[in-house]
Amino acid sequence: MNTLANIALRNLTRQKKRTVLLGSAIAFGVMIVTLINGFAGAFSANVSENFADLMAGHVFISGTEKGADDEELSVIRDDSALTAAVEASGAPVRYVTRRSSFSGTLIFEGKKLRTNIDGADLSKETFLRDRLLLKEGSWDSMSDENALILSEKIASRLNVGVGDLILVQLETVTGQANVGEFRLAGVSYDAGIFGQMISYANLGYVNRLIGLAPDEYQTMGVMLDGLRHTEAAADAIYGRLYGGVQLFERGAKDEDGAVTPFQALMRQQKKESWQGVKYRLFTINEVLSQIEQIVAALDTTAGVILVVLFVIIMVGITNTFSMVMFERIGEIGTMRALGVRRGGVRSMFLYEALFLALGGAVAGIALALVAMGVISLFDFGMDSPAFIIMKNGHLSFFLPPLRAVGNVLIIAALTLVAVASPAGKAAKLTPAEALRTQK
Amino acid sequence: MGIVELENVRKIYPLGKVQVEAVKGVSFCIEKGDFISIAGPSGSGKTTILNMVGLVDQPTEGEVFLDGKPTSKLNDAELTRLRHETLGFIFQSFNLIPVLNVWENIEFPLLLGKTRVGKDEKKEWIDHLIEEVGLSEWRKHKPNELSGGQRQRVAIARALVTRPQIVLADEPTANLDSATGEQILELMKKINRELETTFIFSTHDARIVDIADHIIRLRDGLVTENRRRGEEAPAACQGESARA
Repeated sequence: MNTLANIALRNLTRQKKRTVLLGSAIAFGVMIVTLINGFAGAFSANVSENFADLMAGHVFISGTEKGADDEELSVIRDDSALTAAVEASGAPVRYVTRRSSFSGTLIFEGKKLRTNIDGADLSKETFLRDRLLLKEGSWDSMSDENALILSEKIASRLNVGVGDLILVQLETVTGQANVGEFRLAGVSYDAGIFGQMISYANLGYVNRLIGLAPDEYQTMGVMLDGLRHTEAAADAIYGRLYGGVQLFERGAKDEDGAVTPFQALMRQQKKESWQGVKYRLFTINEVLSQIEQIVAALDTTAGVILVVLFVIIMVGITNTFSMVMFERIGEIGTMRALGVRRGGVRSMFLYEALFLALGGAVAGIALALVAMGVISLFDFGMDSPAFIIMKNGHLSFFLPPLRAVGNVLIIAALTLVAVASPAGKAAKLTPAEALRTQK
Repeated sequence: MGIVELENVRKIYPLGKVQVEAVKGVSFCIEKGDFISIAGPSGSGKTTILNMVGLVDQPTEGEVFLDGKPTSKLNDAELTRLRHETLGFIFQSFNLIPVLNVWENIEFPLLLGKTRVGKDEKKEWIDHLIEEVGLSEWRKHKPNELSGGQRQRVAIARALVTRPQIVLADEPTANLDSATGEQILELMKKINRELETTFIFSTHDARIVDIADHIIRLRDGLVTENRRRGEEAPAACQGESARA
């Protein structure tokens, strides 16, 4: 190792208390930032995975049929081509779901509330029972044709209880006004901002309400082995469908002020004209593209915290190294007399700061990893209001390695900036000045 | 011309708003292999002159010649290289590097500069120096584990490790008891004889003055005496007229 770097490393052990204090300050800052980065890293995957469970799929195919008077009906009447494409795609498919849904107004004792209701074949979608825990009622009651599961918040706002009959006003796929009646079979725990949006009913009853035949539906959901397969599977299925059925173009651009790729796709659909059924294929990532904005905001917050913490820590480092320079002024003079150049003196201080920063940063990342491990052991349960951001009821973390490396580099750079001034002053001293000033 | 020559050297320090003239036009010449004492009371300019001879400080006026070459026009990097290649330093407060052990402190100057010494040759030479200064048992010890005399021995070995032509010693016995000071002086005199290294001391110590080949006395920044031992006439280098 370079002699001056070796001396710099050993110099860190001279004032152990001071080194430990400075190193701890750096480690603390890095730990906080790494925890936020780790949380943000897992946030997107957790939300998408949980939402995929609630929506019953990673990849979705919906059909839109043009009627004789150019009206658009959201329906899949014959899914044989779709099923064949999914099977032929080679995608790691866990199961395929078929759902219809509508946005309607629930009415109970004069109280009204607009919400989305998903019709699902609950005899097949047994996984939904594991994902959506009920606070009241039971899944067994869903055997009633008009049974309904509402989230805790919606049930509370309507002031309904299990067994109550709820009137629903809606429009059929052809735009006809219709009414129906649901019996509340269960109340699910609130699943955060996303989970509140969905209520569940039987597919057959929903189809009847919206004017579809019992064997028809609106959206096919393809549940994969994991979120990571989503885009590849979507491409493969799209490739298999291409040429066999009418398809909307994938990857529509964010035009006309569309906020998400999904919105862009919907706008594209409105502009186009066709005969028969045209299918659109979209993924959970497109639906939840705003999650990426949340992740970006979290990462930006972490970056701001990193910089603010380090501006404070940098003041401490600058002061400490100014003091260190004064304490070692005799040594600087001796080294200069013995043949160390100005650049060598500067490098020695910079090396010392760099080792301190790297030591602190590595310790901070190690502490953060331990903290992540400990926090992820806690089981908050699937009934936690924050379950949507968790993985099976546990807070989970994923620290992208490049982000960790980036943080270490930022800290190393900021520390070097903090030490640049005292190191420069030490380098500028003439040997005579340094030797005269020594204690 | 000698190995060191000072020609009308003046040094003025700013001290707040006041200018202090520490050296007021000094000229002298030192022959290779001499054991020289620059003596005088505190404030007479001994250390300032030693610093200028050692190229750690530059004169305000005049010229310092090292081995016949003027040094006032050299930049910092050139001065640093010349110091490293030509000079060794022994300080009153030993000035060892606290985080390095005895062996490493002595090795340190060899790790600087561009000339690289072979590993075996280096080890042999450092071991020899350690033996010469009587610290064979202490080679792994850090400076804070050594006595004052031992530290000064390390400093002597460090000053000699690059085989310099000149060793500058600023009050080398001032922080030592008289017995240890005596031993250190004997050691330096022995090295001076064996290696023909020029030793230049700044000192109050009468013992150094007594064993010096060449004595330069200063008072208030001026040379008051400059003679070789046993000679009355002012000392001069071969081929030079005497300056006093």
